[in-house]
Amino acid sequence: MSEKVSVKDIGRKELPMLSDIRPEELIPLPAPYDNPEDFPWIKEVSEEKKERVVCNLDGVIASALPHPESPEEEQKYVDLFVEGLKKLLSKENNWTFLQPLTLSLEYCIGCQTCADACHVFEATGGKEIYRPTYRSEVWRRLVNKYVKPGGKLLAPLKGADIDLNWTTITRLYELTYRCNLCRRCAQVCPVGVDNGLIAHELRKLFSQELGWAPTELHEKGTVLQLDVGSSTGMNPVVVKDNIEFIDEDITDETGIETVTPFDKEDADVLLIHNAGEMLAWPENPGAFSIILNAAGIDWTLSSEEVGYDGVNYGLFYDDVQLARVAVKHAQTAKKLNAKRIVMGECGHQHKAMVTIADRILVGDLAVRRESFLPLLEEIVFSGKIEFDPSKNDFPVTLHDPCNIVRNLGIVEPQRRILRYLCPQFREMTPHGVDNYCCGGGSGFAIMSGNNYEDWRNKVSGRVKFKQIIDAFADQPGPEVKKYLCAPCSNCKGQIRDMLNYYGALDKSGITYGGLVELIVNAMVDVKEPFIKWEMY
Amino acid sequence: MSASTLILLSYLLLAIFAIFFVLKSVKMARMPIHLRWELSPVPHEKGRGQYGGSYLETAEWWTKPREVDHVSEGLYMFKEILFLKALFEHKRSLWWFSFPFHFGMYLLIGAAALLLLGGIGTVSGFVSADLWLFSRGLPLLAGAGYALGILGAVGLFVTRLTEKGMANSTTRATYFNVLLLGAMFGTGIWAVLSLSDFTGQVLGFVGALFTADMSIQMAGILKAHFLLSFLFLAYLPFTQMMHFVAKYFTYHEIRWDDRPVEAGGKMEKELVELLGQSPTWAGAHVRADGKKTWVDIATDTGAQEAEK
Repeated sequence: MSEKVSVKDIGRKELPMLSDIRPEELIPLPAPYDNPEDFPWIKEVSEEKKERVVCNLDGVIASALPHPESPEEEQKYVDLFVEGLKKLLSKENNWTFLQPLTLSLEYCIGCQTCADACHVFEATGGKEIYRPTYRSEVWRRLVNKYVKPGGKLLAPLKGADIDLNWTTITRLYELTYRCNLCRRCAQVCPVGVDNGLIAHELRKLFSQELGWAPTELHEKGTVLQLDVGSSTGMNPVVVKDNIEFIDEDITDETGIETVTPFDKEDADVLLIHNAGEMLAWPENPGAFSIILNAAGIDWTLSSEEVGYDGVNYGLFYDDVQLARVAVKHAQTAKKLNAKRIVMGECGHQHKAMVTIADRILVGDLAVRRESFLPLLEEIVFSGKIEFDPSKNDFPVTLHDPCNIVRNLGIVEPQRRILRYLCPQFREMTPHGVDNYCCGGGSGFAIMSGNNYEDWRNKVSGRVKFKQIIDAFADQPGPEVKKYLCAPCSNCKGQIRDMLNYYGALDKSGITYGGLVELIVNAMVDVKEPFIKWEMY
Repeated sequence: MSASTLILLSYLLLAIFAIFFVLKSVKMARMPIHLRWELSPVPHEKGRGQYGGSYLETAEWWTKPREVDHVSEGLYMFKEILFLKALFEHKRSLWWFSFPFHFGMYLLIGAAALLLLGGIGTVSGFVSADLWLFSRGLPLLAGAGYALGILGAVGLFVTRLTEKGMANSTTRATYFNVLLLGAMFGTGIWAVLSLSDFTGQVLGFVGALFTADMSIQMAGILKAHFLLSFLFLAYLPFTQMMHFVAKYFTYHEIRWDDRPVEAGGKMEKELVELLGQSPTWAGAHVRADGKKTWVDIATDTGAQEAEK
């Protein structure tokens, strides 16, 4: 084990691991979570497993990559990697991000301002391999040495030498899944270098050139979505059945006759949920239906394949898959002649469809797209629905999904709603565009194989968990029920896992959910409490 | 080194600087448009930039006029360029050295402009080197620039050596850059302090550059200083020190570029052209063959099973 990890160490085959993670290195959590021994440590990967799959970075496995079967296969992937490096910097292969990537390649001044902004680096007390520039510097040196003319000659002279081998590329691959792509580091960079983008682009290289991507994102993610219609595996028939069940449950529960429209042509709003909501948090699509119907919105869901699942994991690792899913979403709206697509409570769906796809969906595919948040704000303050904020008289705090807030600049609509409907609303510190990622961003929330979920709960989510507990520090006990509003499916997935892991409902009375649930809970027409004080 | 050698070298080094500075800058500017990658706060968002909000906070934003606040954006850039606001807010420990380092250079750019004005003026006979602006102003401005530069360079060099994270990502080339600038500042302040006719000599040298007067007389320290300065300029376009140009693009064309595509507009035309490029990614699921365009590939959503 190398205690002091240098950039060059990434290619050192003799090190079984590049680094490790120790409990004493992690930043302390507030009481009653301050005794590390109360919570299990990250599971060790068995020797038998290590014989089957690559585990050479930090003892954690995000993507179980099999060992190569021969030295030739090893070399094949190393060669493909070099080709991928070149393609990342070519217009025909990567016009999509060529300018930002090239500027981040050439002009980082190494000031380390980014490191202080990174929640993963902070959570581990400053572990070198999690430093945002560590991964970037490895990539930069590889490009300088193996792609630029005369690189092999100049690299030793510049003191920037690095070895390229199977160990280098597999460690780098794994390391791209230790960054949530939250871009908090980019926000503080004085030059405008984007280490989150570099991690994103490296993931693309591995996927688009080598065919390497975590199963949850690729095979069980975009591939399944494009094949069947949803990354949940739900086909159109199942989706319609599920929504019907949800409508029935919601009607029984609230006494409000709830019917979710499907495939209505010429509707003003085509709402696309993250389909995971229908399975994991059915009260969320149910609440949307109550609100939109009560406000008299002309809206619909689609039962077209892909058109009912706003998930687009391509955003996290692969431009091609991203574009394919975005095109399907646009085609769905065109087919129904919907006036606009409104994104449900899903952060990465927002970013993928509202901004990123803006420069993909041109010509016939151009369709108006927006967030659910301004629409909800309009509805809440329109007077069409009667609210009783005293029904929400419990402590509420808000998690800002990075993809909605920092990346899209949608900051205030949700706050205006919460200030109006939740008398005990309080902010986290920091919040808004300065927020911390939940730790599940960029696909981590759905990646739970091997010991990766342990790492998420212990490391990438640590700063957020601390923020949540601190936000309720004035009423810490479980006797006061508290609500963490997280208007994003991926964030909710991560928060659910963390709250469960630390037992936060029992110890602190904290549960979580979306924004629409709070709105419905405050509706005068909804007689019974809509929010259940349980762990969803 | 003879004056003639210095003058000829100066022409060469300045030409290298000018050519490659322009080439590098044009290369940055002419990169293809990319997918939207904005990052809040975007200061030109009128009424919202302060807290990081954007026009996407408005329902059916496309039905409302876009209001761009150029004043706020300009003010933001002014504070960032002049005072290194981001570093001040997010890494104060480094700002104490980086600010004098950069501010010193701004003063030297001012001194260079003054020198250019004086050089042209004295050669053409319009101004006299005895003017206070030149006789006192120039050494004061340059001296302050050199002093701040030295303070910054020493501080940055030591910080890079001693701060763990910076040491790991700092290459020999970066240390060389700081040392080169330190040497430039050092010879500069030496010249200012040691030469009683500093102004006369530097104005004479600039005048000689215009007239190609190879007989110019100049102190050795000043020759060393000009040589180092021009070497630095010629070397600059090939280094990360061009970040001051790159920063324009990282801010204006990436972080703050939140322009939506307009149907039939210039951006859409450019995007259609880019979508017509043929990628060659080798991943099986991409199904690229070197002929299929991005449009072909993005609309080819079938046969997902085939690549598994």
